[in-house]
Amino acid sequence: MQLLEKVRETQFMGREFLVWLWFRAETDRGLFDIGGKKTAELWFDGKITLQSENERGRETIICAGEASNMKEARFALSEDKEVVLATIKLLIGDNQWSFALDSTWMNFNTFKTPKVMQDRGEDPDGVFYEKIFLMEEAVSAMDEIYSSFIKLRLSPEWADEERPALGKWISEGK
Amino acid sequence: MGLLSGSGSFTRYLADGALPENFMEGLSEKITRYSFRNLDEKSIDERSVGWVNVMDMFDNRFAGLEFLREPYITMSFRVDERKIPATALKQYCLEAEETIKKDEDLEYLQKGRRLDIKDGVRLRLLKRAIPVSRCYDMIWNYSTGLIIFGSTTNKICDEFVEFFLKTFDIRLQAICPYTLASRFLKKEGASSDLLDDLSPSNYSAEK
Repeated sequence: MQLLEKVRETQFMGREFLVWLWFRAETDRGLFDIGGKKTAELWFDGKITLQSENERGRETIICAGEASNMKEARFALSEDKEVVLATIKLLIGDNQWSFALDSTWMNFNTFKTPKVMQDRGEDPDGVFYEKIFLMEEAVSAMDEIYSSFIKLRLSPEWADEERPALGKWISEGK
Repeated sequence: MGLLSGSGSFTRYLADGALPENFMEGLSEKITRYSFRNLDEKSIDERSVGWVNVMDMFDNRFAGLEFLREPYITMSFRVDERKIPATALKQYCLEAEETIKKDEDLEYLQKGRRLDIKDGVRLRLLKRAIPVSRCYDMIWNYSTGLIIFGSTTNKICDEFVEFFLKTFDIRLQAICPYTLASRFLKKEGASSDLLDDLSPSNYSAEK
């Protein structure tokens, strides 16, 4: 019960993370340092779900389309809707992942890894380890990006620079 | 198609606390004890859950250490369920009620009697219902304590957490933005109390 209350109280953190990701993807080429001298490129692609809650209840908007044509989603954002689920493409080196990240539990939905190169018939254990490696690589990259967000969110830089820039970008969606 | 054989959705958990030193010793027995058992065709059980081999949902024997690929424990949580379609239940109940009314020359059946009939019909139909099987892969990295579970459905996730506790006597903590952030701060040597001071950002000032 305690955890559920905490989740409810702090669910804005996941929502802010998703909108920040979108903002960085659009304005900063979506490049993120993921440690070990590696960089990940990330962009929103496909479906975005936005939500708002007020005294009349909850409103949900689902926008689906090409990455270059997210005007409706951007407009919804400027109308105080928040991102609760976003389809993301992640690129590290030559490998590309696709998944929908949820803001409440940071669940990975419809998660697709790059193709496994090992042959199941020849080496089933090799396939297993390669698949797990690919899953963990994307998960740990997202965790690393989230930790950068948390560091920034807790720093004075958030209020001084990032939040104003993000607010400006949101308002430009009108 | 499970997580390991294709694509899918998953929830993440953290195993609570450090593993006991002799953790590996009784592992096979624990898993076998809670391995999946088929629903008996003659029984009226509606549901059966348990562990099966991640590579073969029909293998619940765990004869070797097929669940262990260091540093991972991987199994599938299999859920078999018998369900009676609501429309079929309603139809068979009406039929049974009509027969009783005719046999006993009644115009009306009391609510209690109708409920008894419904229970009887349900049990009769349950024996005829074919169970539907679903498997959810679990990948447990026991060196980091991170568990990936192949479902995002609340009901299944709750059932999995409870079953995991029953099997291994280990509590799982669901990962959410707060727990993930606390974990990072602890790693950095900072206090997670910092998060308690956070409040939602107001972007409207910048608009």
